[in-house]
Amino acid sequence: MTQNPPIPLSLLQPGDQGEVVQVYAQGQVRQRLLEMGFIRGAQLRVEKLAPLGDPMELVIKGYHLSLRRDESSCILVQRMV
Amino acid sequence: MALTIALAGNPNCGKTTLFNALTGSRHHVGNWPGVTVERRSGTFEHEGSTLEVVDLPGTYSLSARSEDERVASQYLASPEVDLVLNVLDASNLERNLYLSTQLLELGKPVAFVLNMVDDAENRGIHIDVPALEILLGGPVIPTVGNREQGITELKTLLAAMARGESNRCRRITVDYGHDIEGELRLLEAEICRDERLEAAMPPRWLALQLLENNVEAKRQVAESHASEAIGQQLSKSFGFLEPHLGADGATLVAERRYGFAHGLVKEVATAADDKATPTSRLDAVLTHRVFGIPIFIAVLILTYSLSFVLGKIPQDWISDGFKALAAFAGARLPAGELTSLLVDGVIPGVSAVIVFVPVIMILMGCIAFMEDTGYMARAAFIMDRVMHVMGLHGKSFIPLIMGSGCNVPAIQAARTIESRQDRLITMLVTPLVSCSARLQVYIVIAGTFFTPLWAAVVIIAMHFLGLLLAVLVGRLLRSALFQGPSTPFVMELPPYRLPVLKATLIHMWEKGSVFLTRAGTTIFAGATLIWFLSRYPGIANRQWTLEYQQQRQAVTTLNLPAAESEERLRVLQLAHESRIVNTSLAARLGQKVEPVLRPILDPDRKRPEAWKDVIALTAGFVAKEIVVSTMAVIHQASEEPKAGERLSPLQVALRDGSGLSPLTALAFMVFTLIYTPCLGTIAMIRREAGSWGWAAFTVAYGLVLGWGMAWITVIAGRWLGFA
Repeated sequence: MTQNPPIPLSLLQPGDQGEVVQVYAQGQVRQRLLEMGFIRGAQLRVEKLAPLGDPMELVIKGYHLSLRRDESSCILVQRMV
Repeated sequence: MALTIALAGNPNCGKTTLFNALTGSRHHVGNWPGVTVERRSGTFEHEGSTLEVVDLPGTYSLSARSEDERVASQYLASPEVDLVLNVLDASNLERNLYLSTQLLELGKPVAFVLNMVDDAENRGIHIDVPALEILLGGPVIPTVGNREQGITELKTLLAAMARGESNRCRRITVDYGHDIEGELRLLEAEICRDERLEAAMPPRWLALQLLENNVEAKRQVAESHASEAIGQQLSKSFGFLEPHLGADGATLVAERRYGFAHGLVKEVATAADDKATPTSRLDAVLTHRVFGIPIFIAVLILTYSLSFVLGKIPQDWISDGFKALAAFAGARLPAGELTSLLVDGVIPGVSAVIVFVPVIMILMGCIAFMEDTGYMARAAFIMDRVMHVMGLHGKSFIPLIMGSGCNVPAIQAARTIESRQDRLITMLVTPLVSCSARLQVYIVIAGTFFTPLWAAVVIIAMHFLGLLLAVLVGRLLRSALFQGPSTPFVMELPPYRLPVLKATLIHMWEKGSVFLTRAGTTIFAGATLIWFLSRYPGIANRQWTLEYQQQRQAVTTLNLPAAESEERLRVLQLAHESRIVNTSLAARLGQKVEPVLRPILDPDRKRPEAWKDVIALTAGFVAKEIVVSTMAVIHQASEEPKAGERLSPLQVALRDGSGLSPLTALAFMVFTLIYTPCLGTIAMIRREAGSWGWAAFTVAYGLVLGWGMAWITVIAGRWLGFA
């Protein structure tokens, strides 16, 4: 099975689904993201972008979360088809 | 001895509703020592036992990075807590259980509340409560907090635990797997070398936090005499685990915790069905690409109108009532110091405090409604892009906009911002947003020196200048005072819920009464001080008082028609007050500081009486609307326009007698916008920021910035050819 290379979460479009590969952020942001469920293998779905294009809304672990591009670009995901 | 129960749980899990349902009205709101996080505690009695409940701030974890988390984790580890009651949102069980995995490590009995089971059922999630009890190792009570279902069962359980009759807590912990558990045991052994460290919290809990690279835990260890041995073991553990398991400690621990939560949920709960929830249908409209912003603006306008238009009605009653009271007392009591203290000091002081209460209660009610429904998070989601440019959080938008009505409740509204840094910056820049009290000053001054059209332009420009300065100062404070990484914007968008009216009312009442008790005394003391400054020593001058009384007597003996006699008496009163104020301590202060203000108020040195402006500005410390009434006293001219005239006598006096030009009048307005927040705002900043330091800082930077901006106005105006 061939897999696409992982991409930053910020590149996913509304409606796309993905699986977390790695969290690149450091320190406080990293800990917060881990606690909120961004662990290896966690599945997520991008719901929409805010009217002004940032932040994004996504669903992870069954709840809705919003992330700025600053944070979402630090998360590597595998796009799922 | 009563049992103390700590109520812990994620934000939006219905913890506060449950707290209200348990304690009813028997609760107390205060602050946690040293921080600005609200502490709510209450008691209830059940089957003869008295239990104390402490509502902890809602947190996603106990990692002790935010102020809220630090408060929660420190309190939970303290010996005060006998029992932890973990509130779980049944419709969002997996993420809620992450916190539970940490609570179970604290070495205290943990009972669980499965809240909002009705929501979960509606989404097709059925939870097997007996199975959940077995897996969590503690009693689980299903509840619907907002309908008070399950509360009696919960009270019965807690009372039984208080009497030591219930022994359903088995003290289970997450199994972190062979490798991590092995390292944990090694770390525990090193920690146990220091008895003090061992006693402070369960060694295993400390070891876990160390593996997670927790700063607070490391700080605690650094103070220990065993710190070297622990540090060596920690490096060894990292050296073993990271290559072996392919990730750093924090990731490994978080993965195991979520692994536990995931497995547990799979075991006891059915998956949610895929049908669209009411929340997703609402969000399709409320955060829509096109409609989201207009809807938000409409909500903002509605909130603003409710607070400042509707709220103005009771506000006017209060201030009219106190004015009538002062007039009544002034007319009945003999002129003199005590009367003046009562009529010009105490009564307006009390009025200046109470007048805020309706607006505070209404605005806080609106904000609580937005928070409890879940719309506040959407508002932040929509506006975050704009606020991000300012270096602030999306949630700062509402306080800043509400500041244009009144700064006092706006600063209180900043409480919704979780990060202390963002909250502090928002509070410090809100006073720059021009409020409705300052509008009254602009109307008088701009109306005097500009044509009606230009006056409108100037007034609008003042408001934009305020917002612009708030943005710039916000950015400056962010880069100068709060270096280091800004708090991440990782915000939950909770499901929409109908708020409980009772909870909103309790919240409004709390905000109003907290303001009266905490900020009220400061405002009152300040108002009395300003009265003293602007009345002494003249008010104590027996000779003047005697002259004034004789003049009054002379008028009353003339037997003039009532209207004319009243008019003459008013002129006399104004003249008497003017004499006192213009020789007061504030006036002397004005003469002293006049050289400093000369570049902005008297650049051509044509205004020998520029010091009189200082009296009005000093009075403006109490409340900005007092600037106008003080000017009326200084210039001996009424602020009420006579029938058929555009300008009031005060405005005519300002135009003809004050020596202000349109340019210096503009500089005066700019200075009034910025120079200091009113006493109410100062008291509120002190309360919300938790120190006098920040309140003093706001006054100080306001004075400097206000002078600078007014100076720039004068310089730029002259350069453009205005005089």
